[in-house]
Amino acid sequence: MPLLRPEEQAKVRDWFAELERPIELLVGLGPEETPRAGSGDVDFGAEMIRVCEGLAELGDRVTYRVEEEPEGFPRFPAVSIRPDGRDVGVRYDGLPWGYELGSLVGGIVEAGREESTLRPDSLAALGEIDRDVALDVFVTPT
Amino acid sequence: MLLAFRCALVSERVAATAIEANEFPKLSQEFGVYAVPRIVVDGEPRWDGAVPEAEFLRRMLAA
Repeated sequence: MPLLRPEEQAKVRDWFAELERPIELLVGLGPEETPRAGSGDVDFGAEMIRVCEGLAELGDRVTYRVEEEPEGFPRFPAVSIRPDGRDVGVRYDGLPWGYELGSLVGGIVEAGREESTLRPDSLAALGEIDRDVALDVFVTPT
Repeated sequence: MLLAFRCALVSERVAATAIEANEFPKLSQEFGVYAVPRIVVDGEPRWDGAVPEAEFLRRMLAA
């Protein structure tokens, strides 16, 4: 099954063509937790590679590579979104399928911007943070 | 999810991870995930559901 419908592919190509800096997708593979019943007989690691490979085909500035248990990855499979190849703390743990593929694409588009789309007051508040903050957002594909 | 990613992209102090709840059921159970998005800040579940940007920042920084 193709990753995206032709019209979706065209849209993503347009977005990726606007990326202002290269984005590397680092796919981390390793021991996987048994998923919730109903997830079917899915090879999550292989699917993650297929997703990232498919996205990399849609833009010259998007690349991907695969590592076994890379440093800083607590769960597998996972993908780190890296502007200019740098780890900036943006990661997706698990397979971003269905609706959630949009989160990965959106993350790539955001990471590819030189200027944030956050509001000025948000940027000011973030500039004043004097401690580390870990945000974990639980999501589902539907 | 994108708001969390945007915050991490702007601040070296912020790390943002999306976690697919169905794929990590033990972790989801640990954090009592029954609705999504469930936002966990520094290991503590804080709120469920999407909120506007200003409110997201306020809740994140108040945690």
